[in-house]
Amino acid sequence: MAKTPSMRDHVARRIRELRTNYGKTGFSQEALANMIEVVPNTVSRWETGTYEPTLDDLDRLARALGVSILDFFPKSDTESPKEKKVEALLRTARGLHDNDLEELRLWAEYRRARQVYKRGRKR
Amino acid sequence: MDRSEYYERMKLLARETRARFGITSPRVLRSDLRRIYGAEGIRITLWPHKLHKLRGAYVHDDLGSEVLLAKSLPEDPTVFTMAHELKHHYVDAGLSLSYCDLSNESNPIEIAAEIFAAELIYPEQDFARDLHQMGILGSTCTAEVLVRLKHDTRTTLSYAGLAKRAEFMGFAPPSSLAAIRWKKLEEQIYGEPIYKTILRRRRGSR
Repeated sequence: MAKTPSMRDHVARRIRELRTNYGKTGFSQEALANMIEVVPNTVSRWETGTYEPTLDDLDRLARALGVSILDFFPKSDTESPKEKKVEALLRTARGLHDNDLEELRLWAEYRRARQVYKRGRKR
Repeated sequence: MDRSEYYERMKLLARETRARFGITSPRVLRSDLRRIYGAEGIRITLWPHKLHKLRGAYVHDDLGSEVLLAKSLPEDPTVFTMAHELKHHYVDAGLSLSYCDLSNESNPIEIAAEIFAAELIYPEQDFARDLHQMGILGSTCTAEVLVRLKHDTRTTLSYAGLAKRAEFMGFAPPSSLAAIRWKKLEEQIYGEPIYKTILRRRRGSR
């Protein structure tokens, strides 16, 4: 089932915005494509909404751009009181190595993003 | 409930789980655990990114029950980690998040998960029976015996798990199975595994 144009368009626009606004000069599509090991055409097609990135694609994009995977989605969909709960439960894991704690936080965001993406598909 | 009673309950839960899902051998595979996870409604995320010491984590929240597994783990540790996280689903779901690494291994909740996982893969009773059938009585179990046991039963319980259990159950003297180079010993007894031979030949032909 295809995503509604609004979600697809929003994600496409956000990829372009986050790419062009990265640092002071932004990234070219080619540079970003190299970083996440896809061909430049793919990035271009994500940005025009021709191709739909998977959640794993968005995860790689987020890591390359140094943003949260949730930044690709509408704010209203990702803002949730449950986020505080995620932060609270991650605090219980403070014995973990910093890298592992960070990966757990990214996993929590990934799960939330998956729900938002799935919901966008149903609309 | 004291600790030993808690741990015994975990073993019982593991045996009940084996019975419920028709697991009868000590060779429990990833596919067996996937079947259990499917029936229990637990989602799996294979995490492709580098983890320092973390092997797995379990979370239960408004998004459901989910386990994170380090994608790079080999088969046996993956099976063990999946079994470990299954205990958290059955018993500790109210805690929201449980994780498995080296920093919390002395926590009774984590020890119980290790006991549950070992029992789920290879029940103690079967382990004792198999050793008896190999003629092991008293504290006469050696590292070689465990290599043969693993080879014959094709169990997916690790050498470290087998050694810990052999010492704990009195089949081997305490600490007698520590610091064994299991893979090397396995090669001495059964020869080089075929994948190593192929790799060596490929390197030699370059």
